[in-house]
Amino acid sequence: MHGPLTVPLDVFDRLLRPLRRGPVTSHYPDVPPDLAPAARGLPELDASRCDGSASCVGACPTDAIALSDSVWSIDVGACIFCGACARACPRDAIRLGRQIELAVQDRADLTIERNWRAEP
Amino acid sequence: MAEPIESESLAKRAADETAASEPVEQVAPDALGARVAALIAEGGQFVMLIGLDERSVGGDGLAVEAVVARPGGGLARLRARLPLEEPAYPSISPLVPAAHSDEREVKDLLGIVPLGHPDPRSLVLHEQFPRGYHPLRKDVPADVRPPDAERHFVPFEVHGEGVYQLPVGPIHAGIIEPGHFRFSAIGERILHLDARLFFVHRGLEKLVEGRSFAAALPIVERACGVCTVTHALAYSQALEALTRTAIPARARWARVLLAELERLYNHVGDLGNICAGIGFQPAVSRLGWLKERLLRLNDALTGHRYLTGVVAPGGLVADLDPHGLAALPETLDPIGVELASAIRSIVRSEGVMGRFHGTGVVSAATAAALGALGVGARASGLRLDLRIDRPYAAYDELPVGLVVASAGDVAARFHVRAQEAHESLRLVREAARRLPAGPIAAPLATTAAVGESSLGAAEGPRGATWIWLRAGSDNTIDRLRLRSASYANWPVVAAAAPGNLVPDFPLINKSFELCYACTDR
Repeated sequence: MHGPLTVPLDVFDRLLRPLRRGPVTSHYPDVPPDLAPAARGLPELDASRCDGSASCVGACPTDAIALSDSVWSIDVGACIFCGACARACPRDAIRLGRQIELAVQDRADLTIERNWRAEP
Repeated sequence: MAEPIESESLAKRAADETAASEPVEQVAPDALGARVAALIAEGGQFVMLIGLDERSVGGDGLAVEAVVARPGGGLARLRARLPLEEPAYPSISPLVPAAHSDEREVKDLLGIVPLGHPDPRSLVLHEQFPRGYHPLRKDVPADVRPPDAERHFVPFEVHGEGVYQLPVGPIHAGIIEPGHFRFSAIGERILHLDARLFFVHRGLEKLVEGRSFAAALPIVERACGVCTVTHALAYSQALEALTRTAIPARARWARVLLAELERLYNHVGDLGNICAGIGFQPAVSRLGWLKERLLRLNDALTGHRYLTGVVAPGGLVADLDPHGLAALPETLDPIGVELASAIRSIVRSEGVMGRFHGTGVVSAATAAALGALGVGARASGLRLDLRIDRPYAAYDELPVGLVVASAGDVAARFHVRAQEAHESLRLVREAARRLPAGPIAAPLATTAAVGESSLGAAEGPRGATWIWLRAGSDNTIDRLRLRSASYANWPVVAAAAPGNLVPDFPLINKSFELCYACTDR
């Protein structure tokens, strides 16, 4: 229980707390988001390492990845950023990168394509 | 840690787990209710009643299996075989009220009729589904949409002079999940509450049938968004029991750390949400900001704010981030101070505590009969906590302080949650301190035999969540049931409402803060 003197002090403390703390929000998008080192962003393909084994295609739980003769594609609308593709790749050609700004105007634009066969 | 000790303890654990797999006892359908009631009278806790189609595992009909957790940690599994044509058995709900929802669900999904059930209305399948459609039967395809039926919802209503009906939801003013609450009231006082859920039934249990164990994990884990560690833990432990797999020490301790982080951010957020139930905004903001700091801590440790994609059968998918782990103590210290201060400011506010005390009382007898779990059970005096009753991960080496209260009201649930949040802070620190070096995952030791089944469980923020799992051929799932803690607790919310004022219901509801998504599946 608080006595007659501590009550106003407690009230002052409550009033001053936000001033002491300062802003807790960030200046996004002017300042890039503060991503954790472990953050899981857009899966990125390093085409120079890809050997077309399609391990990622089989590992993807949402069938978001497709591989043709020359094109590796991922449907970011289906991707759940679990990283199964990166773990399945025998050549470490995929990693979950730091790109997290993924909004597009068109659903079709969520499919991202990469040429996995390095140009001769 | 030295390698030889590690492998020795792994072998010992594997042997323990093989010995601990509980056999299924066949019983006559007529005897099921009396047997389950007798087990509960001996101190057992009703876990679930699951409906099974045995045709996929060499049988020729259907079955129901009742699971009861025995005091001391063992399980009793009683299975009753039923014919394919007109399958029925005497309902066990009159003897075991906690089985009430399970039996209605089994009737909907498999067409098994519990004769003499006190409320034979459909539960999971709403009126747009045609009669006779039982999706968990093996001959019903998962990808064919049944034609819409022209039936109408008949709510449970109380009639009489001065009694009126107050329908709330399924679309609410706030950004919350869908549920329809039908209050029968006189003046401001609630006479009866009929809670109708399953608006977000997605057929997840049908969806995982035939999938590989690995492919089912992301679906089970995401049954709801805020208990992902609990779901992944229960699923992983069911599968590890099925394949007699012992996981490495680092994974066991990391699982404790993750489970307690999940409890912590949930409890902190839910303490704020209780205050939102009466519009006490300063506490909502303070605890909301505290929860945000905990979510960022989760992100720093795992790369995911809600801890998804870390726990997997065999151990962990990825190790905890070393920078996040190193920063853990100095991140947690100010959070603990701020949490204590926020709780103090709420408890000192007489206007707030006046609304909490004596509101939404659930007696110990009601809680026990309906099968209350988690905070809701412990606030009514039930000493239930899987971390103590059936230790998993590293909880056998890390004693958990059990928090109980006896009043069973909103204030009791608030206090239990607040103390458990502080206990979780301690457990997170302790698990991080004792986290051993070494591998984070072990391969599954054996292939599960077709038709073999097991259970896995974890104490989540809302109580014990159970997974029942049966293997099909080639490491696929024949049948899985997710019995979340919220599922078991919803009837307790409905029982807490009568006698209270209608405007107090948001407060009562938020003092349980149950999830719809993992109830509905």
